Amino acid sequence: MSDLSSVPSAAPTVSAAGLTLRYGGTAALDDVSVRLGEGVTGLLGPNGAGKTTLLRVLATAVPPDKGAFTVLGNDPGTSAGRQEVRRALGYLPQAPGFHPDFSAFEFVDYVAILKELTDRTARHREVRRVLDAVALSDVRSKRIKKLSGGMRQRVALAAALVGDPGFLVLDEPTVGLDPEQRMRFRELIARAGEGRTVLLSTHQTEDVAMLCHRVIVMVRGRVRFEGTPAELTARAAGRVWSSTERDPGAWAGWRTGTGSFRNVGEPPEGADMVEPTLEDGYLLTLDGESSEVAPA
Amino acid sequence: MSTALETPVRAAGPTHRPRPWAAVFALARFEARELRMNMSFLALAVLYMIWIVWQTTQRQSDFPILQNVDRGTQMMPVLIGLAVMLNVNRAVLRSRRRDTDRHFDVLVVEPWRRTIAHVLSAVPAALFIAVCVTVQFTWAALKPGAVGHGSPAELAVGPLTVLLFGVLGALFGRLFLSILAAPILLVLLLFAMTFAAPPSGNNWVSWLYPVVSETGSDAFPSDLLERPAAWHVLYLVGLALLVALLAVLASGGRSTVVKATVAASLALTLVGAVGQSGGTPAGSTPARERASVTPEKIRKCVEHGRSSYCAFPEWTGRTADWAAVVDRVQKLAGGRAGGERLTVEQRLDARYGLESDTLLPPSTEPGRVTVRTEWGGNRVPEFAVAVASVLVAGDEKAGTEVCDARVVTIMWLALGGEADPMSALSNVRVGDGVSGPALVLSPTEPFSMSAEQTRIVAELLKKPRYDVAGKVKAKWTELTSPETSMARVAELLNVSAEGASDGDACDE
Repeated sequence: MSDLSSVPSAAPTVSAAGLTLRYGGTAALDDVSVRLGEGVTGLLGPNGAGKTTLLRVLATAVPPDKGAFTVLGNDPGTSAGRQEVRRALGYLPQAPGFHPDFSAFEFVDYVAILKELTDRTARHREVRRVLDAVALSDVRSKRIKKLSGGMRQRVALAAALVGDPGFLVLDEPTVGLDPEQRMRFRELIARAGEGRTVLLSTHQTEDVAMLCHRVIVMVRGRVRFEGTPAELTARAAGRVWSSTERDPGAWAGWRTGTGSFRNVGEPPEGADMVEPTLEDGYLLTLDGESSEVAPA
Repeated sequence: MSTALETPVRAAGPTHRPRPWAAVFALARFEARELRMNMSFLALAVLYMIWIVWQTTQRQSDFPILQNVDRGTQMMPVLIGLAVMLNVNRAVLRSRRRDTDRHFDVLVVEPWRRTIAHVLSAVPAALFIAVCVTVQFTWAALKPGAVGHGSPAELAVGPLTVLLFGVLGALFGRLFLSILAAPILLVLLLFAMTFAAPPSGNNWVSWLYPVVSETGSDAFPSDLLERPAAWHVLYLVGLALLVALLAVLASGGRSTVVKATVAASLALTLVGAVGQSGGTPAGSTPARERASVTPEKIRKCVEHGRSSYCAFPEWTGRTADWAAVVDRVQKLAGGRAGGERLTVEQRLDARYGLESDTLLPPSTEPGRVTVRTEWGGNRVPEFAVAVASVLVAGDEKAGTEVCDARVVTIMWLALGGEADPMSALSNVRVGDGVSGPALVLSPTEPFSMSAEQTRIVAELLKKPRYDVAGKVKAKWTELTSPETSMARVAELLNVSAEGASDGDACDE
């Protein structure tokens, strides 16, 4: 795969400033400002970081308490603007629901209608196109309840892609997929990112490393990092080392397949430094903010 | 949203033009197809069509009265309506049950427009019912024996009921998030209809239900029905519109236009409800009084052969059928009866409302025979019994009081000319039996038939008609005399006289 960090980001197609949203006393989003351009932008963060909330705000599912954003030049703060944003939006929610008695074709067709694709012939052509794009042409007449989990996820992606949206919001699309399915999905998302803006929320740093030209890391409702995957990786330069025992001074450390320990943090003198990965940079960016990132 | 933002560019986007209402119609078509393909709807639709065919091809339906046929189209669509209601309700709740709301709520077609689509999805079902109702009515109207006039308002009730149930399904789906809510409400509604206020037609509450079918023993001339059918249609249209708009309101469509239309539809519903609040008159009205007490002022009389037939204006086309029965009976009679001039008078008692089962008093005037408004099926042999009674006893009153051996002659005259006399015998007797004692029905009062009389009549009906007819004509005077015993009648007609000595109905 090519170095995605070198892909230039065009002028932003999605621009948000000062987005704040509180649920009770908790700030799900706290003064979030982001700019998204063409291509795939990864959104990383531990559970509860506000990733899904940010996606839901940008997808116009919930309005922010404060702040503003535009999508493809449209302001969702107005009713007309919100409709325009929705016309340009493809959304794959986390753990998407399906109508199990619908066939794959019917479900995507239904979504296409809700996206105002009203000409029946053109709509059906478009539904066939997106089902073909996600390699579901052969099973398009099968009821969704008879499809595998991976196939269902592809149906959801097809539903997000139908109508050729300019802004694609994908909330953890690869969760629950086996490695082969995940690889297939990455190909689809990479293709979807050609010529449109894709915001991909994920727990998988591999997804980001392989797909994204930019990455945003959120922690506790705030943006802690925004840059290229290479820049995120570079944050770990000189802060990852190998040792025979877990280094007690390391912020995180775990035994690797070779039997040695990989440590992340502030290395001791003379440490055996190793090449950092995007995950190392991500872990260091979290800086102990998530219980999930402190392996025993 | 006042924060300054960078000027964004458009990377890509949908190429189609926004057409929100076209999307609503496309969604309505999609949902209508889902409804159409639903097994419960399909099964009921097929059953409904089978019922129409069965009902219209019944022997009784060879002589339809169109002002009854139109009302008869109303009840069965309720079943379809229930299926439509439950399916529309399920469709409205589908995205919530299947957790697709999170996705669909950020799509262009807003929930309130989706509600409109769900409401519209019931329209094809209503149109299907409209087509079926039209076919059912037209089929009946094209029958040679059809009389009367149908009402477009009565015919509209079935389709409107289906539409109303459909929009109720949409409203319930928007008000109650459980899929059980609609069936529970349905059961409550049916309970209320059955026990709390059965739709009897003459109280205003019953007219709040979609279907108010009123049937009694007699069909009324159309101008005596006095049902507020047009007001009821206005009420149903207003109510369907009101319920649909409330569903739209409940799903977030709160524009001024929607609110104004809610007010307008509420007004329409109220106007309809007030207009129909008088209901169907339960008792006498001037028109009903006149038709019941002085029908001769309304009826038109026509001559067929030697007899006269007086019918209410809508029934004049049926007098030939009555004349055919009179001729058939008279051909079997002997003496002067075979050539007697009869006056067949159509009568009804409309003074007790549409649902009354009034027994008409038999006429005391010689040679007058009553025929009611219903015809076909069992009504034909019943009329034949009345004709035979008058020929044998002189007048209807005397005929209904006959209990002696003349019953045998009356019954054979009435039924001997039938194509299937044994079936006819069973049809005119209460209990549908061809043995033992029973009451015999006629257009006025019934009369009794003893077990022995029944046995002799049954035996006679099994014999060749010409054989018995000859004996009847030859021994007419004796057979029609109240003095003649059962044993003698049996002997005259060459039938075994097992218990004939003690077997007339006067003893029972």
